[in-house]
Amino acid sequence: MKTINMKINGTERQIEIDENERLLDVIREGFHLTGTKEGCGEGECGVCSVLLDGKLVNACMIMAFQAADREVITIEGVGKDGGLDPIQQAFIDTGAVQCGFCTPGMILSAKALLLKNPTPSKQEIRRGISGNLCRCTGYEKIVEAVALASDRMRNPEQ
Amino acid sequence: MKKSGKGIGIMFYGTGYGNGYPDVSRAKAKIDHTGRFTIYSGACEVGQGAKTALAQIPAEILGISTKDVIFDHEDTKTTLDAGTCAASRQTYNTGNAMKLTSESLKKILENKAREILNLNKEQTLIFNDHHIYQKADPSKQISFKQIAGSCDLKELEIEEVFQAVTTEMNEETGEGNPYWPYTFGACGVEVEIDTETGGLDITNAILVQDVGRAVNPKLIEGQMDGGFAMAQGYALLEDLNIVKGEIKHHNFTKYLIPTALDAVEVKKIIVEDPESSAPFGAKGIGEPVMIPVAPAILNAIYDAVGVRITEIPVTPEKLLKAIKEVG
Ligand code: FES
Ligand code: FES
Repeated sequence: MKTINMKINGTERQIEIDENERLLDVIREGFHLTGTKEGCGEGECGVCSVLLDGKLVNACMIMAFQAADREVITIEGVGKDGGLDPIQQAFIDTGAVQCGFCTPGMILSAKALLLKNPTPSKQEIRRGISGNLCRCTGYEKIVEAVALASDRMRNPEQ
Repeated sequence: MKKSGKGIGIMFYGTGYGNGYPDVSRAKAKIDHTGRFTIYSGACEVGQGAKTALAQIPAEILGISTKDVIFDHEDTKTTLDAGTCAASRQTYNTGNAMKLTSESLKKILENKAREILNLNKEQTLIFNDHHIYQKADPSKQISFKQIAGSCDLKELEIEEVFQAVTTEMNEETGEGNPYWPYTFGACGVEVEIDTETGGLDITNAILVQDVGRAVNPKLIEGQMDGGFAMAQGYALLEDLNIVKGEIKHHNFTKYLIPTALDAVEVKKIIVEDPESSAPFGAKGIGEPVMIPVAPAILNAIYDAVGVRITEIPVTPEKLLKAIKEVG
């Protein structure tokens, strides 16, 4: 066992970890933030996507100790002040959520994409979320949602 | 060399368990002391939109907004059995149970309103936002809450059951009515095939689905997109590779499904041809949307390179081999 510091969703926290635990285990079982899902557990499906120091990672592929003294954002931390992030709102408005299992990861991928590129083309959006598998939606409404969020973030009055 | 081709696939599909198997959905509904409406039915929301679409049915009947419908649908302690979320049956079967239940409750409310307002059967009553009023004289009105206050709340509870009518098919003669209702659909695709690599791109796609009545068009579009992508994977990528009963492709590294980069922008056409036995004419389309896609892709391959593929998925290796065989 080992104690590490981690800034998670804006709060400095201390947590005891096992050396062989993954970041995903600490998020779900240590912090009880179960919005982040486990799908394949081997870096293929993207449902465990989180931001680590602003960069998109698969939390199933990162060891917990690698996140020591760094900042992690999960789906629970994307909205500000208890509200929804514009990406979350756009997912609701376009009907981009079906079973919802891929949704937390999709939203984190979209977040990482829009942080880097606030005005992505449809093809850039497709590329941006191509590491996240979805069995339900055929991706169309997800792509639409990310485009809508990008639009709204640039023209907030709409 | 790149070769392109076009193909279509058409299908019809019987929804529900079929073949005379009892296909039953139940629902119960009530008005509570505050006048709020709650309906209970065990239809699971698994992403297909049951929670939304099914709640629209009582809203329509009782003249209230969908957001005012309290739909308790997954708690086995409170809800009645509505069968499985399978066979594309919930919209039709549970939709009908929701409709019957809401109509019965409406009847009860209507009778109570006539009694209290002293109106005879000839007077038309209108239901609007938890109120009932006389059409000819809207000042004669009463709220659900007032009705609830005037009687034993038990009187404002009702349960109904719907069973789809099917019969077993006679295997000798093919006679019978094994499914009800049927839905119809069609798909058209254009493909481009690289004859040197066997790679295939879908360059254009259209999917047409008969839905009876579109309860919620946005949800239907979502199902159509999803069905197309799933069928695209089924036709071109997804291979369990079962060897002696063992699934060899047991993870996403080997069992490939379409990603956002593979997915095609599908033109979607919703056809409304109301089914008389269905709730507001609406039929289930969860599975049907997937069915015509793989045939359309296989026909487009034939049109492009002249080979009839009889086994899916059509991986680039398989396609290349088939192209070489016909020379
Ligand atoms: S669970 Fe991490 S990528 Fe699938
Ligand atoms: S919504 Fe079900 S996997 Fe994406």
